[in-house]
Amino acid sequence: MPSLREVQRGFVAATVFGDPGALAGLGIVAGALDPAARIAIYRNNVLGNYRKALAATYPVVRRLVGSTFFDAAIDAFVRAHPSRRGDVNRYGRELPRFLAAYPPARELPYLPDVARLEWAIDQASIAADAPPFDTSALRAVPADAQGELRFVLHPSAQFVASPYPIFHIWQVNQPGHTGDDRVDLGEGGDALLVRRASDGVVIERLATGEQAFLAALAGNRSLNEATERASGIDPSFELAGALKRHVAAGSLVAFRAPSNASSGISQ
Amino acid sequence: MPPAMPLPTVAGIGLRPPHVAQVRRDRPPLGWLEVHSENYFVDGGPALAALEAIRTDYPISLHGVGLSLGSADALDTGHLAQLKRLAARIEPAFISEHLCWGRIDGRHLNDLLPLPFTDEALAVCCDRIDAAQAALGRVLLVENVSAYLRFTSDAMAEWEFVAAVTKRTGCKLLFDVNNVYVNAINHGFDPRVYLAAIPGEAVAEIHLAGFDASGPCLIDTHGTRVAPPVWALYRATIDRFGAKPTLIEWDTDLPALDVLQDEAAIAQSILEEADAVAA
Repeated sequence: MPSLREVQRGFVAATVFGDPGALAGLGIVAGALDPAARIAIYRNNVLGNYRKALAATYPVVRRLVGSTFFDAAIDAFVRAHPSRRGDVNRYGRELPRFLAAYPPARELPYLPDVARLEWAIDQASIAADAPPFDTSALRAVPADAQGELRFVLHPSAQFVASPYPIFHIWQVNQPGHTGDDRVDLGEGGDALLVRRASDGVVIERLATGEQAFLAALAGNRSLNEATERASGIDPSFELAGALKRHVAAGSLVAFRAPSNASSGISQ
Repeated sequence: MPPAMPLPTVAGIGLRPPHVAQVRRDRPPLGWLEVHSENYFVDGGPALAALEAIRTDYPISLHGVGLSLGSADALDTGHLAQLKRLAARIEPAFISEHLCWGRIDGRHLNDLLPLPFTDEALAVCCDRIDAAQAALGRVLLVENVSAYLRFTSDAMAEWEFVAAVTKRTGCKLLFDVNNVYVNAINHGFDPRVYLAAIPGEAVAEIHLAGFDASGPCLIDTHGTRVAPPVWALYRATIDRFGAKPTLIEWDTDLPALDVLQDEAAIAQSILEEADAVAA
């Protein structure tokens, strides 16, 4: 008699991998239906669940490639990248990388970056909440000390950059989109900030200086260091405007002094 | 930790994401609500905020699908920790899971898969349930699942396996009447034999749902109304165990909320008949 582990391994081989040899070793009672038909029910359920779950996370990818292509890609993905959590909602982080190396998708070089954007949107919707920025605390910091402050991005904030116009591609593939749905791949790349605002996940294009600024802040650089980096890349970068805008929008949620002394964020 | 609100012995419904906004806005008369635990394994955001608002208006039960109590792998401690964190936040009346497996060698299949009813599988399930109950600090409800195959290695009937699990671990039973019916048809047994084998004092909650009968065996889709023979089996279940909190589950092809309320009203009328007889 096979052990429980052997039965469960054989079940994976017979369902996910469609291995007929594994089916024989499982010892399935035939009855009115033969064992292959019984395993096929589970195979369809298991793979179908993943197709459905990943279609919910990656609707634009699915729309771009069509449902037949998508389903085949997901089946291959499931075999290559096992789910490591009992929560299927969080499955699929590796899909962008998988698609980048998936030969049938070679003609769609922008596809992995669109997938990264969709994963970022999904993650932003479930990230931790943050209290609003305490602007009065910031005003209380003397102007000459502000340059050493560190700023905290909203927990949902993520950067997605691509040499392709992925935001435009994403926009014309939204269910409510009307009008021209052509995208010129030569129209230029995108540097995007994805984050959750009070009314849902938002995507915004960042200028190169602004992106360098926020990325430096996210990397725990001081306001002065972040400003230097941004100005080095983009001479038109203007600190006061950028800071004000990202505080007001909620991309920045707190600041703290360089030492352990905290200000404006509850620890 | 005591629940914020205990489950009343009435009919409730499974709350799914498309109905959340309506329930939150209209606060319709629903006895209690059950949600899938894993849908709230998140750090924050609108879904969790909505559940935290809803729990102040309705008793809540957390129903898990991913703990894999019957896996040869040890329990996924990360999953258990997330469940514990969610329970601390929601203070549910019940926490339930399934008597099945879904994970091996670290790979989750994210499905409710059938166990061989062997002594080894029984020992594994009891060990995992003991561990889960210890970690959560409370009694777990376990649900009998529907199955489309049986193993030649079975050493006992499903009802013997289920009864032994409750007896050995002290866990409670989430008795799914639809799953008993689906298995009775698929594997050819008399569901009354199943009912007779279950210790009534262990039954804490009942599930009802619809199945799909278009293929060569019944599939537990949770995608239609409760079938007439399942209502009949539900009456027999209430006759045997007494009135228990009863849930209408609907997951695929989810209809408007009032369809679920209609189904819950039927279950409620059967519960009230039983109360009238008992009184």
